[in-house]
Amino acid sequence: MRTLRFPIEQPMAALFAICMGGTGVPPVAHGQDARATQEARAPGTHDSGAFRDAMDYAQKRCARLYGGGAGREHGYATGLLVSPDGLILAAQGIYLSGESLRVVLPDGRRFEAETVRRSEKLQAVLLKIEAKTPLYFNLAEGARVEQGDWVFAISNAFNVASVEEPLSVSLGIVSVRAEMEARHRTQDVPYEGDILLVDAITSNPGAPGGAVCTLEGKLVGMIGKLFQSVNTRTRINYAVPVDMLQRFVEGKDDEEPPAPPDEAPPKGQGAYVGIRLFKLSGERAPAYVDSVAPGSPAHAAGVRKDDLVLAIGQDVVRTCREYEEAVAKLKSGQDVPFLLKRGMTIKTVFLTLAAKPEKPK
Amino acid sequence: MSRLLAWCLLLAATCAPAGAAEQEADPRLVSKAFRAAVARVLPSLVTIESYGGVAPRPPAPKAKGAPRPRRRIGTISKPGEGPTTGLILSSDGSIVTSTFNFLRQPPIITVVLQDGSRHVAKLCGRDETRGLCLLKVEGVKDLPVPALAPRGELKVGQWVVSMGVGYGGDAPALSAGILSALERFSGKAVQTDANLSPANYGGPLVDIEGRVVGICVPLAPGGGAAGQGVQWYDSGIGFAVPLSDAEPILARLRAGEVIRPGRLGIQPQPGSAPGGGVVVRDVLKGSPARKAGIEAKDVILAIGDKPVRDLLALRVLLGRHVAGDTVSVRFKRGDKEQTVPVTLEAGDEQIPQPTPLVPGHHPPAPKQP
Repeated sequence: MRTLRFPIEQPMAALFAICMGGTGVPPVAHGQDARATQEARAPGTHDSGAFRDAMDYAQKRCARLYGGGAGREHGYATGLLVSPDGLILAAQGIYLSGESLRVVLPDGRRFEAETVRRSEKLQAVLLKIEAKTPLYFNLAEGARVEQGDWVFAISNAFNVASVEEPLSVSLGIVSVRAEMEARHRTQDVPYEGDILLVDAITSNPGAPGGAVCTLEGKLVGMIGKLFQSVNTRTRINYAVPVDMLQRFVEGKDDEEPPAPPDEAPPKGQGAYVGIRLFKLSGERAPAYVDSVAPGSPAHAAGVRKDDLVLAIGQDVVRTCREYEEAVAKLKSGQDVPFLLKRGMTIKTVFLTLAAKPEKPK
Repeated sequence: MSRLLAWCLLLAATCAPAGAAEQEADPRLVSKAFRAAVARVLPSLVTIESYGGVAPRPPAPKAKGAPRPRRRIGTISKPGEGPTTGLILSSDGSIVTSTFNFLRQPPIITVVLQDGSRHVAKLCGRDETRGLCLLKVEGVKDLPVPALAPRGELKVGQWVVSMGVGYGGDAPALSAGILSALERFSGKAVQTDANLSPANYGGPLVDIEGRVVGICVPLAPGGGAAGQGVQWYDSGIGFAVPLSDAEPILARLRAGEVIRPGRLGIQPQPGSAPGGGVVVRDVLKGSPARKAGIEAKDVILAIGDKPVRDLLALRVLLGRHVAGDTVSVRFKRGDKEQTVPVTLEAGDEQIPQPTPLVPGHHPPAPKQP
């Protein structure tokens, strides 16, 4: 855990301090009364460490979860207390599928948990225990953060913290908020929406369900299920943003049931483009244009032989196979930009798609 | 304590004038500083898109029935296919990035600048010892070039921030950390504990003033195949190649050269000779050492003006040179000392790595010649 006690020896930071006009000294709490009022809401910074109070606050609102493990999947995780009557937010995982799911609260009380609701989109689950939990994260008071803001991640990573001990804490900054294509082992995951990437290390067994908070103790997100980025094939450190969690807990996110199979578009649909690709190099070769049908949408837009298709609309087209997949999604009547490489220049042309011509019988 | 008194004290504390260096910096100011530093470099950041190419294959198994090696680079099963990161180095379109981003050897490379324009890029030279390569984009001018942090001003413990577009999205992902060490891999790289990974390899490591300290690359001891070092992604151990003193290398890359590790072509005795130096066990046929007249049983005493105490020192000193460099090698044959110039050639020196120490285990005895 990095310490934040550093003097201003870097010129830019000093300049900032002077420009801000303030001391940078956090407000000092005096006496028991002030402390007691601070406990009831998210505390400010404390002069014995930039985020000691925030950490204490978060420790009291995270629970340990123990369930069934299987093979390489671990049977332990973390959870967030989100209501005064025992609602707990956690990440989906194998540990949920055992016969029982035990919750250990920060004060040591143990309960069995029931599942209330799941979210495929957020890969999250809402649990309930029969207990009063007066100390909890109020999701409506979640914080919005910017890139570069300090956050800490608190969880039971590796189940290191024995029951009487506080959970593990890792410090970092907000890396970026982005939509993420992710995968778990070899499968793409159904997660939909933004994630908050952080550079605190959260991608460890037992961490999912933990809290990511600002230095003021405000919840920023819940550590998500362990995933790899499709782009980099590395494990990603991220949190599910609190605003998305709030909608899930309040039952406000519209979970659309998956489309039944007979609604999938029949094979052979898709629009007519009029491009034939050079296929001799195989499906994984870049999508070079071999010929353009006269009178076709591609012909009208000015696509030429030997052009390389780089992207169709928002879809990057790296190979012939990706080209086919992108074209299959198109509908006749659409105006679609095709990004092309012609020689050493890049061009965008717009195709007005037509309906597929009837095949001669 | 009454509420009123508490509020007065609060007000007094925030109105008190800023002290000098004893003041502790508010972490929020550091966050603002990170954002400002990143904003300075952002105009020069580019997104690289690669088209085509194949995932590198591992070497075929040697023996029948030997387990098939899994397709791995470090612990990444294949290089990703997403966008990668680069940095503009010249206003007419020279872009630096990491060789890691082209392991698939894509035939087509495009770059997207911060103004949204997309250009075809040509791969120029590459430096295999540093994991750096240069791209060139034509038909552009007045591109924004970032400021470089002079290497001599770098300090262990200073803040640095990495920037990378590998996860996708509109803004680069940031990771903050400190400089952990200033000289790694025979002076080729600095070390940081910021999270470095394929998400930002090829991108800049930036100081708090918005100057580029270096380019993030995967590196590992012992050289080896391109991409080695990626197994340490996000581990707290990351490397960046400083640019402020890299002009000689960059000039060669602009000219399209491939810079490779250089070797003498000797097989050394393990350990060191009594009194210091490295005993040559064998000189490989046709090697630079053979051409320079070095023979078995010679004891290598110095490379240039730096003494060679042992194998480790020899490896570090040779690591400062690349194939094509001519180094002067001082050695002793019997009682006589000589110095000869040796022109290093491409290849890996057969210098064994130090055995890693494992608590509770004894290191294996060195193999006898």
